[in-house]
Amino acid sequence: MANITKRVSWSSLCEDRAPGEGTALLDDTPGARRCRRQEETLKQPNEIPHNEKLLSLKYESLDYDNIENQLFLEEEGQMSPMGFKCVEISRWVICGLIGFLTGLIACFIDIVVEIVAAYKYKIVKRYIDQFVVEGGLCASVILWAILNSAFVMAGSLVVAIFEPIAAGSGIPQIKCYLNGVKIPRVVRLKTLVVKVFGVICSVVGGLAVGKEGPMIHSGAVVAAGVSQGRSTSLKKDLKIFEYFRRDTEKRDFVSAGAAAGVSAAFGAPVGGVLFSLEEGASFWNQMLTWRIFFASMISTFTLNFFRSIYNGNPGELANPGLINFGQFESGAYKLYEIPIFICMGAVGGVLGAGFNALNYWLTIFRIRYIHRSYLQVIEAILAAAATATVSYILMYCSDDCQTPGEHQAVEYPLQLFCPDGQHNSIATVFFNTPERSVRNLFHNFPGSYNSLTLFLFTFTYFFLACWTYGLTVSAGVFIPSLLLGAAWGRLIGNLLTNSGVSIFADPGKYALMGAAAQLGGIVRMTLSLTVIMVEATGNVTYGLPIMLVLMTSKIVGDYFAEGLYDIHIKLQSVPFLGWEAPATSHSFTAREVMSSPVMCFNRTEKVGTIVDVLSNTSAKHNGFPIVSDFTTNEPGRICGLILRSQLIVLLKHKVFVERAQLKQRKLLLKDFRDAYPRFPPIQSIHVSQDERECTMDLTEFMNPTPYTVPQETSLPRVFKLFRALGLRHLVVVDNENRVVGLVTRKDLARYHLGKHGLEELQLAQT
Amino acid sequence: QEFRRVFFLFLLKIICSLILEAPLAAQSSAMVSLHLVPRLIALLLLLPGRIRSSSPVFNSLLSDLQGDPELEERCRDLLRDFGRRYESYVKCAVPSARPVRICENCHIQFEMLRVVYNNISSDQADPENCRDSLLRADRLMLVYMLFQNLEDVWDVAHCSQCLSGDGLSNITLRYMAKLNQSLSCFESQKNNHSELCRVCRADYKDLNEFYSIMEKNQTLCIDIEDSMNATRRLWSKDFNCSFPREETVPVIAVSSFMLFLPIIFYLSSFLHSEQKKRRLIHPKRAKSNNSLMNIQDKHS
Repeated sequence: MANITKRVSWSSLCEDRAPGEGTALLDDTPGARRCRRQEETLKQPNEIPHNEKLLSLKYESLDYDNIENQLFLEEEGQMSPMGFKCVEISRWVICGLIGFLTGLIACFIDIVVEIVAAYKYKIVKRYIDQFVVEGGLCASVILWAILNSAFVMAGSLVVAIFEPIAAGSGIPQIKCYLNGVKIPRVVRLKTLVVKVFGVICSVVGGLAVGKEGPMIHSGAVVAAGVSQGRSTSLKKDLKIFEYFRRDTEKRDFVSAGAAAGVSAAFGAPVGGVLFSLEEGASFWNQMLTWRIFFASMISTFTLNFFRSIYNGNPGELANPGLINFGQFESGAYKLYEIPIFICMGAVGGVLGAGFNALNYWLTIFRIRYIHRSYLQVIEAILAAAATATVSYILMYCSDDCQTPGEHQAVEYPLQLFCPDGQHNSIATVFFNTPERSVRNLFHNFPGSYNSLTLFLFTFTYFFLACWTYGLTVSAGVFIPSLLLGAAWGRLIGNLLTNSGVSIFADPGKYALMGAAAQLGGIVRMTLSLTVIMVEATGNVTYGLPIMLVLMTSKIVGDYFAEGLYDIHIKLQSVPFLGWEAPATSHSFTAREVMSSPVMCFNRTEKVGTIVDVLSNTSAKHNGFPIVSDFTTNEPGRICGLILRSQLIVLLKHKVFVERAQLKQRKLLLKDFRDAYPRFPPIQSIHVSQDERECTMDLTEFMNPTPYTVPQETSLPRVFKLFRALGLRHLVVVDNENRVVGLVTRKDLARYHLGKHGLEELQLAQT
Repeated sequence: QEFRRVFFLFLLKIICSLILEAPLAAQSSAMVSLHLVPRLIALLLLLPGRIRSSSPVFNSLLSDLQGDPELEERCRDLLRDFGRRYESYVKCAVPSARPVRICENCHIQFEMLRVVYNNISSDQADPENCRDSLLRADRLMLVYMLFQNLEDVWDVAHCSQCLSGDGLSNITLRYMAKLNQSLSCFESQKNNHSELCRVCRADYKDLNEFYSIMEKNQTLCIDIEDSMNATRRLWSKDFNCSFPREETVPVIAVSSFMLFLPIIFYLSSFLHSEQKKRRLIHPKRAKSNNSLMNIQDKHS
């Protein structure tokens, strides 16, 4: 507890601040406060190694709350009922487009991966077969490792150089976006291109990764792009959907895009909708859900349709998702199997927590030491080479030979040292794309894998997958987790079958439960994951066991460590707001939470003041209360709130009172929308000395009805307002309506329930 | 009597259902041939059963009541013919079950059986035709079912892929020649295995490659699959001519070098790379009126 006390600084540094240190969140307005110094505060180091207990300044909130200024009200007033109907219809059109394009991208990734991977495996297989006969097998290891590394290097280079945000699965980032945090560059076209290319490279490169997670990110980018009717990167404006150019609408569409991504990845439209609800959309209503569902359906249908064309039988809609677990023939389970499933859930929880803990340490190490891009690329290459080598050693040492079955063709059978007509069993899982391996583990007939093979596979793949997640490549963790779980699940199934009790017939079923348990233990999703698993297998009867498995794995896993996505969100220092305020935070009031004093403006403010405040680099504020009776000593009464982005647009258009007669036209809402979402930085706006003396009338542009709370409001109450309304700024006022402080997302997100009770995160420059 | 009849029908039903289930259970090609055996035996059992089941008392009563002879003589002839050919086919098939030679040995008998069945099923001219009276007059539809089962067996065995016209196809014959060559080579060297591996490798390799081509072109039937399986087993297991695992040392050396690289990488970046530091920022908070409470105070 003692160290927490030290870290908490309630009073400011104002008296002791060295000149030029100006790191305070809100810069001085002279004499507006009484400061008291706390001894502990000064002893804090100003630079600390990166850890999870930080909040980064680079993340800002989305403006989910509409700015209802005069311009907005005028425009809404001019719109006819017909106009609103058109808007509604275009929402549906956009959702359809989102689904279509997402499905198309999924299809593209799938086909390219299939073709290139087939080519690669054929080459490697040919050499391995040849070297077995002629000798020189170590050359084939090197060949395989080099091929893999080359692909991974291409993918990793692109990611590291062009768009680092495209690394990983993208699900944590999308989760943050839907939570209301603006992650820089996360929904840009460039990110999408890099992501798609990166995924193809890393899957073909044989890393322990899947292409499903990145689909969700891709769907989100598609949604953010399509709904705007333009691309800022390509400098193309189609002049459509202008109504949707604001954070409120965009965020709704992004949730539809994420759902479409899930739906294309797993062929699970309902799962997609539930994913959006569970992970993201804090704000949803029945119509939005219905539209999201539409986008999901269209997405899986598009993928299905184009895949059927690719497979040469157009119109035969048999492949709804990137991964299709395939239907289990006997969709039945016995009552006495349920306890076994629950135990498997617990195993999944423990293994998942282990995975997350290991990955946590690895990620911290990566952030601290491997932050240069060339190091990141080298790391990815080494991981690819090591993956190939480890697979090769296992295949080389394995004595498990299997005869190919009648109904299941092995795609790239490697004979190695097996008798003729048989193939190496462990090669069917390693020497294959992960999706195919998962399906093999689910459906190959009992006895296809011996227990030692499965154990070795589980053991090595656990570490490989854990190592791989967090490399600078675009890749998801879904498929590796499923594969890992399927392997040990099948191992359990094998042991049960071999135990002599004939009632446990089908190890494939246990593989499915193991996969669910492992994935649940790692990502800790509940509702949506159950539905996704059920939809991907097509066996509704497995709903209950899968649900029980996921429940157990979440409970057990949460006891040891957090979910993988939450860990990564924390390590990115994102101000993420949970569903509820931390449990023991009722004793806090808005007064203690808020930042104070607040930088305020008058209704008519001098341009020079505004420019100075905006260009103050040490305190980059985004919301400024507008007050009346603003004196230097006493805070004024609140009469509105204006955003940095609005001020910048005003400055750019030089909406000055003194120039009013020169202006040809009144500023419209359209001018704000055109600048959205990339408002120019203040440095790029030139204001002459002359203009600095002008004044600006902000009345028309400010939000005249911002949300305010009294100082005594409790933290959970403030939290609820933020969460439910999607606020960005909440003004704290005293009983005479004078502005005393401002609560932002970062003020709330810094409280979190740690191991020793309530802890406070620190703000840091990253 | 009646009890016997009912019991027999019941037995028949079980056997038939067993026969129908069989292809589902057969999953590996190596297992297919084994699965053919019980099916054929079951069919053989069916034959006497069918004949015995026509108890004279039962039949005469019925035909008396119906007033007319229940089967035309023409149809009775067809049925008799069917029975004879059925018998000869099954008599051929069962001995060819292990090792599987069913396609090669019995395709003539099967063709004859098919002809007579086609005669029955194509006889549909007048209202009193043989197709209806033989094939679909009752719930059991015994003739239909018997033939259907045999046809299923034939399909599962892929026999048609080895046959062309009225005999074995050319490819099959060529395969047989190669197989015989290999087997005779094995025979000549069977006392010295290491010598056998060396001498017969060329023949065996030729056979193996030819088989792979046939596998790709889908010109395999159960006879060929089974003979090839047996030959491969001979080669790999009995004569132990598979490739030995002899390069363990270089493979392990190369692999451990590859696995060593990441360790070096991580160590060197830990030692040489500059640790990333974060600059902390201390936000300004309002002074609380009542006291400078902090978390600890509030919770202690």
